[in-house]
Amino acid sequence: MTSSVSPESSDPNTQVRAEIAILTDPDLVPSDVSLTNCDREPIHIPSAIQPHGVLITCTEDDFVIQQISQNALQLLGQPPAALLGQPLSKLLPPNQLDQIRGCLAADFEQVNPLQLRVNGRDMGGVAHRTETVIVLELEPLDNPQPIDFFDFYRWVKAPINHLQQAQTLTELCQTAAAEVRQITGFDRVMVYRFDSDGAGDVIAEDRRSDLEPFLGLHYPATDIPKQAKQLYRLNRLRLIPDATYEPIPLEPLHSPVTQAPLDMSLSVLRSVSPMHTEYLNNMGVRASLSISLLCNQQLWGLIACHHYVPKPLSYPLRTVCEFVGQAVSMELLTKLDKQRLVERVRLQSIQANFVQSSSRYQSLLAAISHHPIDLMVLADASGLVFCEGEQLIAFGQTPPEPTIAPLIHWVSQQLTPPALLYSTDQLGKVYPALADHQVVASGLLALQISPAQNIHLLWFKPEVVQTVNWGGEPKQQQGVDAEGLPYLTPRQSFERWQETVRRKSLPWSDLAKEAVLELRGAIIGIVLKKVDELAMLNADLQRSNSELDAFAYIASHDLKEPLRGIHNYSSFLIEDYGEQLDAEGQHKLETLMRLTQRMEDLISSLLHYSRLGRADLAIYDTDLSAVLAEVLGVIQMSQPESVEFRIPRSLPTLACDRIRVTEVFTNLISNAIKYNNKPHKWIEIGYITPDEDRSILPETLDTDQMVLYVRDNGIGIRERQLENVFKIFKRLHAPNRYGGGTGAGLTIVKKIVERHGGRIAIQSVPREGSTFYFYLGQ
Amino acid sequence: MDDPTLSHTLLVVEDSDEDYEIFSRIIREVDRFDLSIARCVDGEDALDYLMSPEDHPLPDLVLLDLNLPGTDGREVLAELKQDDRLKVIPVVVLTTSSNPEDVYTCYYAGVSGYLLKSFNPNQFRATMHQFLEFWFQATVLPSSN
Repeated sequence: MTSSVSPESSDPNTQVRAEIAILTDPDLVPSDVSLTNCDREPIHIPSAIQPHGVLITCTEDDFVIQQISQNALQLLGQPPAALLGQPLSKLLPPNQLDQIRGCLAADFEQVNPLQLRVNGRDMGGVAHRTETVIVLELEPLDNPQPIDFFDFYRWVKAPINHLQQAQTLTELCQTAAAEVRQITGFDRVMVYRFDSDGAGDVIAEDRRSDLEPFLGLHYPATDIPKQAKQLYRLNRLRLIPDATYEPIPLEPLHSPVTQAPLDMSLSVLRSVSPMHTEYLNNMGVRASLSISLLCNQQLWGLIACHHYVPKPLSYPLRTVCEFVGQAVSMELLTKLDKQRLVERVRLQSIQANFVQSSSRYQSLLAAISHHPIDLMVLADASGLVFCEGEQLIAFGQTPPEPTIAPLIHWVSQQLTPPALLYSTDQLGKVYPALADHQVVASGLLALQISPAQNIHLLWFKPEVVQTVNWGGEPKQQQGVDAEGLPYLTPRQSFERWQETVRRKSLPWSDLAKEAVLELRGAIIGIVLKKVDELAMLNADLQRSNSELDAFAYIASHDLKEPLRGIHNYSSFLIEDYGEQLDAEGQHKLETLMRLTQRMEDLISSLLHYSRLGRADLAIYDTDLSAVLAEVLGVIQMSQPESVEFRIPRSLPTLACDRIRVTEVFTNLISNAIKYNNKPHKWIEIGYITPDEDRSILPETLDTDQMVLYVRDNGIGIRERQLENVFKIFKRLHAPNRYGGGTGAGLTIVKKIVERHGGRIAIQSVPREGSTFYFYLGQ
Repeated sequence: MDDPTLSHTLLVVEDSDEDYEIFSRIIREVDRFDLSIARCVDGEDALDYLMSPEDHPLPDLVLLDLNLPGTDGREVLAELKQDDRLKVIPVVVLTTSSNPEDVYTCYYAGVSGYLLKSFNPNQFRATMHQFLEFWFQATVLPSSN
C-alpha cells in the first residue's frame, strides 16, 4: 500500500501518521481492493488504554490536565474529576515536572523512562508530544531501583555481543529470539519476516520445549492489518501484559483541545483492537510483546513474544528489548547485504563454472544438457526448458513439451525491446492455457537469447503450496470454537495463507533475474566462441581438405607414374620384340598390361571417390530426360549389344548436379547391362511421384519425395549381399566375370546420391533382377 | 605456316627417366620435325638453363612436368612468366595431375597448354602427335633469334 504523502514533510513519523490517516479515514474510499475492514479500523484512536497504567494529557504551555484515564483513582488515588482542568503540579512535585520538561526538550527516547513518585507510589513514566498535547503515561514500579546507564549497559552487553557474533541472517534472527526470551522469560519468541505482499513467515523461534513449533508457518497479510503495520513503524514495542483485559476509557472521551479522539499512535498503553485480543485468545495466548524490526525505515518484521499466562514486563526490560530490536534492525541491513553478496558470489561461481565447462561441449545444447541443475539453482527454479530453433529439451518439472512452443511464442509477444526477461509468479492467470499446470508451472522466468534463432531458456517454479516449508504439521488445537471468526489459530491462519497463494509461485528474486541476465551474456559469449571455433574448424577442415586433395592427387600421381612406366614398357616390349616372343610370353605381357591398367582404374576411382565428398555440387534445375538420353547414347556407342530400354514416361526436371547425376545413371545402367545373362536384356528407367502408390518402395528409403528407379532383369543380388554392393572395392564377382569393374561404381553412386541429401536402396530377387530406387533430397 | 624444315629447340623438364624415354620414343617415331631437344631433370636445373642464355640458345617452347623434386614445376612456371625476357616463350604443361586447381593455377600463371600424360600408350602417342603438329607446324612461334 502506498499513499501520497505531502512532500513538504520528510519526517518519517509525520509520513506514517498521514498514511494511517488515509487508511482509516472513513470518508475515503479505498482504492486498494485488498484493504479489509480490519485495515480500516482506526486503532490509533481507541480513546482507551490497557489497565496496567494510567494516561494523562495536558497542554504544553501551562501543564493543565485535559484528559485522564478512568483508572486514575486506583493508580493515583484521585478520581478523574478531581484532576481534569488542574495543573499537573497537583500530582507531581516541581523537580519531577522539570524532568518531564527536560525529557520533552531532548530526544525523549534517550531519557524515557522517567522515575516518578506519585501519591507515595513509585512510577515509571514516559512522556511524548502529539500535535496538540503532552501525553504522559505512568506505570507502577513493583521494585523500584534507580537505573543508571551502567545497569543498562550490563543488561544489554551480553545480548548485543551475541547478536554481533551472528554470521548470517538466520543466525541473527535465531539469536535475537533466544536473547529476547532470555530477557523477558516469555514462553515463545518468534521472528516474523514480511514478504513483499505483506504476508509473514516465522523464520526463527525460541520456545518452551513442550510447545509445538510455529517455525516455518506462514500468515496471510490480513493477519496484521495495514494500519497496524504503519503503527509498528512509529511505536517500536507493544506490550499486552494480559490479553483478557477490560479497556479503560479516557475521560473525557474526546480531547477538549481538538474535540476529536486523541492520537494515540505513540502511546505505550494504547488499548489494542478487539480483533487482536480475540486472535490471541484463540491461540490461548495471555500476554504478548512485539518489537518492530525496521530495515531502511520500512517494517521488515517483528520479534513476537507469546506467553500463556499474564505477564507484566518492567520498563527497564522493555527498554532492553527495544534496544535489542534496534540492534537487530541495524544488523539486518548488513546481514541482508552480506546474504545478497554471498548469494551473488554463489550464483556467479555457478555461472562461471557453467561457462568454463561449456567450452568442452560442441554446442550450447550439449553444455546445458550437462548442467541443467546448475542453471536451475541459478534461478531457484525446479524446471528448465532450453529451446534452440526447432529443438526443445526439458529438465526437472516442466509443463508437457507440446505446450512449450506456443508459450515461447506468447512470451516473445510480451517482450518489448530492449526487454530480454519475462517473469511472472502467476502464469495461469496471464496465460490461461497453462492454468492446468499450476502445480509445476505457477512461476515462469523466460530469457530471450536470440529471437531470430529462437533460442530461449525458460525456468519454472511450482505453486508455493508445493514448496513451502511446513515447519512440521501444526496440530489442530483442541477446544477452539471457530464460530466464523476471521482469526482462529496459527494452523487456520496457515490454511488461509495457503488459499492466498493458490496458483502462485514464490516470487523470482532480483538476484535470480540478475544472474539470469548475466547468464545471457555468458551464453552469447559461448555461442560466439562456438561460432569462432566453428569458423576456425571450418578453416582447418578446408585446409586439411585441400591438403587431402593435394595428397590424393600427389599419391595418385606417384602411384600412377611407375605404373604407367610398366604399362608402356610392356607395350614397347610387345611392339619391339613381339615377334621374338612365343604366344605364352606375349600373353604374359598382355596380362601385365591388363593388371597395370586395372590398377590405374582403381587409383582413378579412389581419387574420384575421395574428391566426391568435398567438391561443391552445382545444383541447377536439370531435365533428367535429356540426361538419360545422353547417357543411353554414350552407352549404346560403347556397348553395342542389344538391350531393350523401357522408359514408361519421360523423366521430370529436378534440381541436381547434372554431371554427377549423369554419372549415377551411367553407372546404374551399365551395371544393369553388365550383370545380366538373360538372352533378352531389358532395363526400365522411371519414377514414382509423392502422390502415387509407394507401397512397393523399400522401407529403408523412408521419404515422401519423388523417387527415381532403374530396374533390370539381370542376375539379381542375394539378400546378404545387398549392403555389400555399396562398399568401396567390394566386388561380388571374380574380376574376369561380368566384364569386371573396379568395385567403386556403386560406392560413387551412393555418395553422389547422399551428397544431394538423398538415399538409395535396392530391391532384388536373385536370378530375376534388381531395382535401384533413389531420391535426390530437397 | 612454319617451314617444317625450320629447326626448333624444345626444352623438356621431366624428372622421370621412364616418362622421358616414352616421350623420346614418340618423338623418334614421328621424326617429321627438325627438333633439337634439351632436357632438364628438375626445376632448379630448368631455371639455371633458362637464365644462362650465353651457354645455349633459348628454347622455342618449354614442355614442363608439374611434379618435380625440389623446385616444383609451378614455381618454374611462375619464375618464367615473371621474367621479361622469358615470358614470351610458350610453356606447355605435361603432367599426370588432373587436379582442377592445378589446371586453373597454370592457366592463371600464363601457360599456353595443359596436357595430361595418358596412361594408355596409344592415347599418349595421339596426344603427343597433336602437340607436335600444333606447335611445330600450325603455330607461329616467337623467334628466339
